Formats: sequence, C-alpha cells, structure tokens
Amino acid sequence: MRNANRLSEIELPDASGKAQSLGAYWQQQPIVLVFIRHFG
Amino acid sequence: MRDRIEEIRARGAELVIVGNGAANFAAAFRDDFELDCPLLVDPELRAYRAAGLRRGRIEILSPALPFQALRALRSGFRPTGVRGDVWQLGAVFVIRPGGEVTYRYVSRDAGDHPPVDAILAALDAGPERIRETSRQPAHRVLLGRALSCAVDPFIVSSFDRTGFHIHSLTFRDDDLDVDLSGRRCLITGANSGIGYETALALADLGAEVVLLCRNRERAERAANQIRAQTGNPRVLPERMDVSDLGSIRAAAARLAPHPVDVLVHNAGVLPDERLETVDGLETTLATHVIGPFLLTRLLRANLERSSDSRVIWVSSGGMYTRRLNLEDLNWTERDYDGVIAYAETKRAQVVLSELWAEDLRGTSAVVNAMHPGWADTPSVKSSLPRFHRVTSRILRTPAEGADTVVWLAACPRAREHTGRFFFDREERRTHFLPFTRELEEDRRALWELCERLGAEPAEA
Repeated sequence: MRNANRLSEIELPDASGKAQSLGAYWQQQPIVLVFIRHFG
Repeated sequence: MRDRIEEIRARGAELVIVGNGAANFAAAFRDDFELDCPLLVDPELRAYRAAGLRRGRIEILSPALPFQALRALRSGFRPTGVRGDVWQLGAVFVIRPGGEVTYRYVSRDAGDHPPVDAILAALDAGPERIRETSRQPAHRVLLGRALSCAVDPFIVSSFDRTGFHIHSLTFRDDDLDVDLSGRRCLITGANSGIGYETALALADLGAEVVLLCRNRERAERAANQIRAQTGNPRVLPERMDVSDLGSIRAAAARLAPHPVDVLVHNAGVLPDERLETVDGLETTLATHVIGPFLLTRLLRANLERSSDSRVIWVSSGGMYTRRLNLEDLNWTERDYDGVIAYAETKRAQVVLSELWAEDLRGTSAVVNAMHPGWADTPSVKSSLPRFHRVTSRILRTPAEGADTVVWLAACPRAREHTGRFFFDREERRTHFLPFTRELEEDRRALWELCERLGAEPAEA
C-alpha cells in the first residue's frame, strides 16, 4: 500500500459501535495505523 | 511505556488501532491497555484487505502472533486465549494527510514487530517515500524454489493446496501492492468460485468491477456482498450469458461506451449431457470458446483505447490431456463426454489466447491464459462430485485458485508477457504430452471457426 485511497473509503465501527470514517483520521494529522490480529 | 504513545502525539500524530473480533473484545482490550486512542473493529477484514494485507500464508501457521507490535507501544500483556483469526498478519502504517503512506511494516512471523523508533523516525521525517517495508525473506524464496523443483515434475502433484503453498513461498509481496483506482475490470461468471474471488480481490485493490453473469439476481447478490466486504462501491452487476451470442452482443453494446482495462474470461460449464445453446452450439464450445471470442472481438476497440489492457483466459489443467481437436467440436458425431468436451475447449482457450495475443501485438493489450489448479468451487462440486469427494481435503480454496488471475490482472510486471500460459504466477509450458501438440493449420482453422460461428446471423 503506497497511498491510503482505498482505506479512506472505508468506515468501521469503534468499540462503542459507532461508525467512523478512516479517511477522516488522516485528514488533519499523520496517523500511525496499527493492524492487530485480534483483541486478546 | 505509555510515553511511547505520547511520543507519537508529541509529533502531532495519533495512533489508530484496527483489530478484528467483536466490539466487546475491543472495549475490554482498550480498558486493559488503558488506551485512549481510536480503536476500530474490522471483523470482515475490509480495512485489512484494503491495506493490501492478505491471509493464508504457510509461514504464519504459528498461532502466537502479533499484537507484540502493540506490546512495544504499551506495557502490560494479558495472556489470554486466541480470539479471532489466527491466520491474519499484523501491520503498521504511517499515513500522512492526503493519504500518502510513508512507512509500512507487515509482520511475517510470530513476534515479528517493527521497532517503535523506526515509526517515530518516519513521523519525524515528514512526507517522504516509504522508508521501510517488511523483511525480505530470501530464505523463503529459496525454499519455495527448491520445493517447486521437487514437486513440479510430477505436474499434477502441484495442482493441489500444498502446491499453492509451495509456489506462494516465491511470490513477491509487492506484486499486488497496487492501486487499481480508475481501472475497469470485466469478469464473466463472477457470481461464484474463482470469478467471485477475482472480483473481490480486484475490488479490494480499488478497481471498478463489472460482474458479467447470466443470472441477474445472483449477480446483484454477489455485487452487494463484494461491496459490503470491500467497502468499494464500484461493483456493478451486468446480465450476460456467455453461451448466448445475442446476449453477448446486447451486453457488449451496453459496455462499449465505457473503458475496458481488464477482461477475464472465467465463466465455465461442465455438463453431463450434450446441451445445445440457442445458437445451435454445444454448451462448452459456446461458453469457453465462441462466446469469449466474440466478446473479445466486440470489445477490441475498448481494449486498444486503454493504455494498459489485459485479457485473461481462465483455462484448466485438464487441457494438458487433450490436443486441439477441430474434428467434431460441436459433438454431433461422437458420443458425448462432458469431461472431454471440457478439456478440449479448455485446450482451445489456450490456443485462442495465443492467437489473440498475436492479433493484438503492437497495441496496449496483452493476452494471457492460466490454470488455477484444483480449486474447491461450486462447479467442481456439482460437475465432478466423485472427484470432489476424493480430493476435497487437498483442493485449493477459490481464492487460491483466483490468485494468478488477480496477479495477471493487477501486477505491473505481469504485463511484460503476452501469449503466455501461467500457473501460480509463473509461466508454464502448454504441453507435457507430445501427442497434444497442435498443427499450425489447426490453429488458423480455430480462429476461422470462431469468426464463422460468432458472426452476426446476417453476416453468416
């Protein structure tokens, strides 16, 4: 992945179930995006 | 170690964590780690796949995998059982405003995680090109080559699931690290099996995907499912029956005003008895040969207009057993055998792919054929129930079967080839048995036959 165009389209629920648009996170500031395999 | 997150924030950045598994696990996780950064849940792996991450590699069989990446950021570790998908890799990206990715790290093995300092350095460096990727595992490629040498001479022994795992050791990770936004891909028979997985993967990479299916409802269901799974809204169902020349002409007329960058001839059938289409053609002949030929011809101008167009024929390893046979392709004289009809038309596809490559040489279009190995698809199950019963434990998944289709459609380096035959991302020979070699005149005759049988009724 060299740019986050595809990711920016995606919405995911947060821990409270509310949908968040991924692209909104990196609109203003740099983001360290960590994918973890599971919550355990 | 809370200060590591503070170090990220001190650089004007924020940490965002995406995990799969249910929201209540995420909440517990957040509380355990006292995290106050955004924590998102991705049970369908939409973001995961949109980030170009893939599952199912053999070397990550080890179940003890990575939230060590996070452990490096936060102290404290709660050794609980594994929840969620153990096949999934971890990864870290630094994404700058505007969407540029300036750092990435994809973990490969259990406990493999990026140094936090490298992440901080990437934040300090500002907008630059990617600084670090995952470790280049040379030993993995060597192992893959060695195992391939051992297995491939026995031809079919590599068609199964193990063959895929061995071959995939040599795959280059960055081959599918591409953004297909703005590319339009047409796939026949895209509502199930290899066609579906191809459409899903190309949608994941950002392409606009057109599902050409004979059944509108099934096409719509598949399109909805792919949209939901990928978050890519550009997935369009389109009705077309590849075995019906009129249906192809009508669909091509609807498709012609739009660009075509990728055309995948995937739709296939393996009937028990000789069935005739509305055009008086035996079904496998119509579906695998005459229909795809006509569709390619009707979309030829579109393919030439694209700056990088690719036509892909999904053939079958079964074609190795047959020679190109033009004697009675329509099965009016022989006792019908669906398996032979299938293999003969799959052989014809390989020849047609080569002929189209020749015909389009000098244009922007490349044409290649491939075979997916033995994949566990709905059509194998219904058409070859005995084969399926005996082999089901060693069959590839449809996604593994689709891998080389996706590679041919998406990988920049795949367009160096035209008129070639592929299996597991490698060029392969098209004959193993000497008697299967076709004559030059038969190759020409096949083209003429396609032109004749695919002609407009008025032209004929």
